Amino acid sequence: MIEIIGVSKSYNSGTVKAVDNVNLTIRNGEIFGFLGPNGAGKTTLIKMITGILNADEGTIKINGKDIRKNPIEAKMQFGFVPDDPNIFARLTGLEYLNFMADVYMVPPETRLDLMQTLLKRFEMAAAAGDLIQSYSHGMKQKIVVIGALLHNPPVWILDEPMTGLDPRSSFDLKEMMREHADTGKTVFFSTHVLDVAEKVCDRVAIINKGKVILGGSMQEIHEHLRENQSLENLFLELTENE
Amino acid sequence: MNRFITLLKTLLINNLGISAIQAKARKNKLEYLKVLGLGVAIAAGVAPSLWLYSKILIQGYDLLAPLGQQGAILILGIVMVSSMIFFFGIFYVINFFYFAGDAQNLLALPLSGWQVLGARFSVVIAYEYLTELPFILPPLLVFGIKSGASLTYWLYALIGFLLIPLLPLSLATIPTVIVMRFANLGRRKDLFKILGGLMVIALAIGYQFLFQKSGINAMDPAFLQNLLTDQYGLVNLISRVFPSTKYLGLALISANKVAGLINLLIFAALSLLAVALAWLVGDKLYFKGLVGSSETTARRKMLTSSDYERFGKGSPALLSYCMKEIRLLFRVPPYFMNCVLTNLLVPVILIIPFLLQSHNKQEALPWEDLISQPVGQTILMVVIVGAVIFLAGSNAITATSLSREGKEFFISKYIPLSYKQQVQAKLLSGYLLGIIGAVLLLIGAIILMPLKIALIGMILAVSLVAIVPIIEAGLLIDIFRPKLDWDNEQKAVKQNLNVVFSILFSILLGGAVLYIVIRFIHSPILAATFMLSCFTVAAVVFYYLLMTRGIEQYRKLEG
Ligand SMILES: Nc1ncnc2c1ncn2[C@@H]1O[C@H](COP(=O)(O)OP(=O)(O)OP(=O)(O)O)[C@@H](O)[C@H]1O
Ligand SMILES: [Mg+2]
Repeated sequence: MIEIIGVSKSYNSGTVKAVDNVNLTIRNGEIFGFLGPNGAGKTTLIKMITGILNADEGTIKINGKDIRKNPIEAKMQFGFVPDDPNIFARLTGLEYLNFMADVYMVPPETRLDLMQTLLKRFEMAAAAGDLIQSYSHGMKQKIVVIGALLHNPPVWILDEPMTGLDPRSSFDLKEMMREHADTGKTVFFSTHVLDVAEKVCDRVAIINKGKVILGGSMQEIHEHLRENQSLENLFLELTENE
Repeated sequence: MNRFITLLKTLLINNLGISAIQAKARKNKLEYLKVLGLGVAIAAGVAPSLWLYSKILIQGYDLLAPLGQQGAILILGIVMVSSMIFFFGIFYVINFFYFAGDAQNLLALPLSGWQVLGARFSVVIAYEYLTELPFILPPLLVFGIKSGASLTYWLYALIGFLLIPLLPLSLATIPTVIVMRFANLGRRKDLFKILGGLMVIALAIGYQFLFQKSGINAMDPAFLQNLLTDQYGLVNLISRVFPSTKYLGLALISANKVAGLINLLIFAALSLLAVALAWLVGDKLYFKGLVGSSETTARRKMLTSSDYERFGKGSPALLSYCMKEIRLLFRVPPYFMNCVLTNLLVPVILIIPFLLQSHNKQEALPWEDLISQPVGQTILMVVIVGAVIFLAGSNAITATSLSREGKEFFISKYIPLSYKQQVQAKLLSGYLLGIIGAVLLLIGAIILMPLKIALIGMILAVSLVAIVPIIEAGLLIDIFRPKLDWDNEQKAVKQNLNVVFSILFSILLGGAVLYIVIRFIHSPILAATFMLSCFTVAAVVFYYLLMTRGIEQYRKLEG
């Protein structure tokens, strides 16, 4: 579960309000899509949830653990897939995974099995011994996804996870998100593609210019859109992408 | 030519960070003040050394003037600066020409080899002007003022200042471009780049010491006599290291005569010829050394379960984090060159000249007398500890440790490893490499000097404690002003003021403690005790600062 209460954030000492008084609750066992056009504030909010940015106002709790007051326990609750997978290019895939496993204190017995299963599932087993530098964009994305799952996190946070993945891997990832949620865990991910949200999410929130303007199940969203013409443009922007 | 100018302008603005400062300043006028303040702080830091340097030059002038040899101080300055530019030039060239991230991108533009190399060359020259200024300005001023020089002298001095870096930098460029052309072979590109860089540096060291050695051998009485009676005897001797510098020296000394003008023209011609040659070589070979230099090996081999087990034993998060730091230091070429290599190479460079000299058996090494008395032992101890401290300050491993993360810094923010432990892991990685540097230096000292075991033990103990505050202060500096916004790795370690601050700090702290020892303490045991106490106190203080103010600031930083 993720609780976001009255969270705001501006960049450049107040000139750009990237996230504006956002309130959201993401429940256990659901996939929650965070939908919005480029520059809407998705990444900014995710960075605050994960402790990368400090919120100007508001509280964020992950499974009841406050990210500011109790950072280490809160951080243990989630696995995070950032929007840019260009990380640790000079480590091998295996070194990266073991680094993550060490940091999340995954015991050797469990990590070995899990690592091999996940590497096979994403067809990364052959590349694991090579430097991440030698990976394609999609392969980097996959190794980061694996790294975020090693400690079997109760909450899974992903920023634009589908970009750069081929249809097959994208399908796999969606399937894994479903499995994850079905075991009672939480999945929170951002996207600017309406279609993706429509297919995998239990609930979504639409964010524009830092404000959450709509929230609920996909069905509810569609009803709203039919009633409210001014949202039509935003809707178009989202569908036209990709 | 137009495109060359455009490229040059872009590179200059980009590399000197001008647009970044302007962008900040547009929002906040205080930004200019901050830049100014930084400049003043650095100037204040180097001022004492400059003052000492000028004093020595003035004394040298007064000593040599009766012999008519005062021009030697000019040549000394020019030669020193030329050697420095040549040596640093190799690092600059490797970093700017090959390691810079945008080096690859420029390949896609319709530019020829000389244009890209020439533009980069000019950027480096701009840096060299900054580097040479504090070293060449004092001798030029001292000689000019003391000899009541004419306007022509000052004009020649200005032209000379602008010309000086051209030749040594060309000399640094040519072998580097050639070696890198052939280092860009095979699959292990990173490794070859590092090896190529090492080879050029080895060539440079060899060249320098070859000339130094020939100078030493020439110390026979007839030569000495000639040296002192011939008007330009000293000039001739010193300029052997960089023969072309003699012409500039002579041009300045006889600025009012026709000979002066001729010498200046010769110097200018030589310098420009060297540049032309370097650019020509660059036109032919530069791109060949660059194409595909970011390729890496990918074996795509299935790992066996024993591979998994070997890696997957698991270790405490702190050690794992420390290991990650060290792996990256060794694997990213600019980090290796600037942080690790200085650590390993400086001891070697310091030792070589003495080793070469010590083949000359009839000549006693300068410390032979020192070693037998307590005062001498204390001085030796201070010198070695001073070198260790300076080395720890200049390798800047902790002073760039956040900066090196750059855009990846966000990882440190979201992993569940407390900032305290991250700070400790970074200290540990810096300390481990610091120990290696210190021990290498000490081994060098042992090879050169018949030190007693007790003295070695004391020096080792003091050294191992002395580097701790340096490393801690470096990290503190980097936490308070990390340079995270860079587009290629060499900017994190090469164009990072934190390195300068780290060096300044090591000079200040080391200098203060060592000065007290030299001045007031004459027994090695007392000196060791005193230094140990001082550095322990400093270590504790800085550790405390790191764990309070440092961690607070770490928490505030955003990825
Ligand atoms: N480091 C930064 N400094 C200043 N402004 C920023 C910074 N990062 C983001 N912004 C601004 O904050 C706003 C929200 O950006 P954010 O990255 O959160 O959008 P996003 O929804 O993730 O967009 P995208 O779909 O393109 O990833 C934008 O207006 C952006 O310009
Ligand atoms: Mg984003």
